[in-house]
Amino acid sequence: MLYDLGRSDVRVRWLVTLLLATLGASYVFGAWMVGLYAGFSTRAVAETYGPAGEATMVMQMPPETTMVVERNLSVAEMTEEQHHVDRNLLVQDTHVHMPMYAVIAAALSVIALGLALPRWAALWIIVLLFAAPWLDFAGMWLTKLVSPRFAVVTLAGGWAMALGYTIVAALALWEMWSPRSEGK
Amino acid sequence: MKPILLGAAAAVLLHITPTVILVKREDAVAKLLPGAERFAARELHLSSADSRQLHDAVGWEPPDGVVTFYLGKRQDQVTGVLLFMRVDCQHGPLELAIGYDTRGTIRGVEVTKATVEMKPWVLEALQAGLTNEYRGLAVGQAPTGAEKVKPHVAAMPGYMAELIDKGVMHADAAFRLFYR
Repeated sequence: MLYDLGRSDVRVRWLVTLLLATLGASYVFGAWMVGLYAGFSTRAVAETYGPAGEATMVMQMPPETTMVVERNLSVAEMTEEQHHVDRNLLVQDTHVHMPMYAVIAAALSVIALGLALPRWAALWIIVLLFAAPWLDFAGMWLTKLVSPRFAVVTLAGGWAMALGYTIVAALALWEMWSPRSEGK
Repeated sequence: MKPILLGAAAAVLLHITPTVILVKREDAVAKLLPGAERFAARELHLSSADSRQLHDAVGWEPPDGVVTFYLGKRQDQVTGVLLFMRVDCQHGPLELAIGYDTRGTIRGVEVTKATVEMKPWVLEALQAGLTNEYRGLAVGQAPTGAEKVKPHVAAMPGYMAELIDKGVMHADAAFRLFYR
């Protein structure tokens, strides 16, 4: 380990604790937002990021002639918004989110470097922290461009993000504040 | 260190602000499809040729290849048509609701969504009477709302007016070419 978080100054421990708490709060709201706008099932993710919203499963290429589908709606259905991310919005989302994900993964990796872990374990945690956002956005783009089946990659990315955070937060809080670390 | 700080500052400055609702969709529907008792969605999954036709007409095509006309009906007669249009810019997306009567004349335009950053600019353009300029416009007539309000507003509200003109133009082309 490059430094020992468990034996660090109390100011460093507080900094790391508050950073983890803030990131944890943002992750909770992130999960809430995913529930509101995309969903946690592969079907919901495919509908959100697929090439044509709810029609993803049946229509991936433009039809040879324009097809017209008409259905009756209630006012509620008409004004109900299905959050669908088209290509242009996904370009914006990727541009906006990837830098922030990189900064978060870097911050968690720096914390991981101060944990009492074997080198291989720290290495794997760092890989997990950076692989998660890549999987998340790769899944969204593959769902849009290749097949709705790739929605599972986005789900894997989201869960990997949660897993990486949970591992780092649990180990760091234990090493910094457990009775074992008292008086260091 | 300096490039990192500049990069971080740029990332903060370029971040698109969250979306805010300016007019609820149900209010836009009530205003733009007055008297309608029933509603229907007519989805057009455009062929490549039709997408190209739309692109040639106004330099735009729906990214997902689908144009949706919302029809308001009374006693099985269509009383009006509504389109929701999104216009993207570097500050984020705008959403417009454009209502037509059955002859294809614009009944009204509502800006339903903007971003936090764009909201004051959009409101200034609207206060200058932007949407009044679209009312009564026949299908095929180019929208000139921005031209009318630009002398009375600052630069960014003027830019918002241009974007709203563009959204109206896109809806107009979709209506003119594909609404039957």
